[in-house]
Amino acid sequence: MTIRSTLFGPVFEDNPVLLQVLGVCSALAITNSLYTSLIMGVSLTAVCTFSNGVISALRHIIPSSLRIIIQMTVIATGVVVVDQVLQAFAPDAARTLSVFIGLIVTNCIVLGRAEAFAAKNSVGMSLLDGIGNGLGYTAVLVAVGTIRELFGAGTLLGVTIWPTATDGGLFVPNQLMLLPPSAFFIIGFFIWGLRAWKREQMEAPEYNEVKVRPEQQPDLVGKNAS
Amino acid sequence: MNLDALRSLGVLAGVALVCSILVSVSTTTLRPIQERNEALQRYRNVVSLTGLVDAEADDDTIFEVVAQLDARVVDLGTGEFAADIDPASVDARLAVNDPDSSTAIPAAEDIARLGRRANHEVVYLVWQDQDLSRIIFPIEGQGMWSTIYGFLALESDLNTIAAVSFYEQAETAGLGDQIEDAEWQAQWQGRKMYDDEGNVQFRVSGGIVSPSSATAAYEVDGLTGATITGNGVTNLVHYWFSPHGYGAFLSKISGEPPKR
Repeated sequence: MTIRSTLFGPVFEDNPVLLQVLGVCSALAITNSLYTSLIMGVSLTAVCTFSNGVISALRHIIPSSLRIIIQMTVIATGVVVVDQVLQAFAPDAARTLSVFIGLIVTNCIVLGRAEAFAAKNSVGMSLLDGIGNGLGYTAVLVAVGTIRELFGAGTLLGVTIWPTATDGGLFVPNQLMLLPPSAFFIIGFFIWGLRAWKREQMEAPEYNEVKVRPEQQPDLVGKNAS
Repeated sequence: MNLDALRSLGVLAGVALVCSILVSVSTTTLRPIQERNEALQRYRNVVSLTGLVDAEADDDTIFEVVAQLDARVVDLGTGEFAADIDPASVDARLAVNDPDSSTAIPAAEDIARLGRRANHEVVYLVWQDQDLSRIIFPIEGQGMWSTIYGFLALESDLNTIAAVSFYEQAETAGLGDQIEDAEWQAQWQGRKMYDDEGNVQFRVSGGIVSPSSATAAYEVDGLTGATITGNGVTNLVHYWFSPHGYGAFLSKISGEPPKR
């Protein structure tokens, strides 16, 4: 385990959204503009880094029977603080993101990293792991947000890139891109692309089609029944 | 109780204590900034309708204009100003939940599908020197999915629409939410609310308004793909400017204009 693999592994090799398919709910809901995607990504990175650091620092004194309760308390604290900071310094984003900041508490990425990594590793590595997984999540959100805002509104960060037909340009926005289901397709294509590029990420089939000759059949039935 | 359980409780209590301190500190220290943001957001909508500054004005300008705004409480039932009530204490959205400070809207008149309306609303009078130039009214009503909240400003003739803004809605993204589009809202300027008989004629058209049509002065273009939202907007304007809405107040002040 190196610093490099801990920090950048979660971006391509072990992406929380694309490989583990976690945190998809928020990735669908708030990626209709690049700005909200960025704010959400930064918020989750902050919460994940904070909770990883704290859980790791306390890992020797947390009783194992209470660890989930303590992890949830720490994560919830981080989320409240991030929510308050956003409401103070990025009120527009806080209004758009509304409940989705609060729902970082239930984001599987954060609890997953606390439980799977921070509870067993040093503070330094846990902080890096938190940042890394936040980056992996943010990278997907930014990519989806860029595609959705560009094709859905012709803008990026609110700046017009392609003038729309209603404003005298040529571009006709695709309304579907502004609705959550579009993120479903985009993330699906990302997963397809990533697994075509890195074939080791492909999952083993859950079952293999068995080609049987008639005389083998009784044998197989017997096996299944046992 | 064994030592392990005691230690566990101690760890729990410690974590809970530190976490609650963090949460309390962050909420209390950031509260003033958040309240300023909320006030700004609320005022920006009103101020943009005064015609005194544009909507993108900086924060300090907004607060300056707000300080000069003449907020008055109106009793919708009688149409009178309720001078004894502090405008800052009136929250029409909360009042709707309180049977003592709101009134059920008769089903036949409830075209905006609100159910109840507050007894008192805060309107803003905009003065140019000693003359009344505009009155800004809060309006609300059901669209397709959500309650639409906005403000509408009438010129001092109490008939010509000076400006409109919708600031809170959850209509379909890309379709119904075009009611927040500044260019569309700009079309409202100069349209008439009432016909010669005093009936509300204003409406969001089903399509593009032809300038030659007889009702062109009362119509703005419909929004493509947002017919139901457009009808909702038409209905809420009709409700609020009917006798059950601001009608009583408007006929009162056309008889005796308010003084500064």
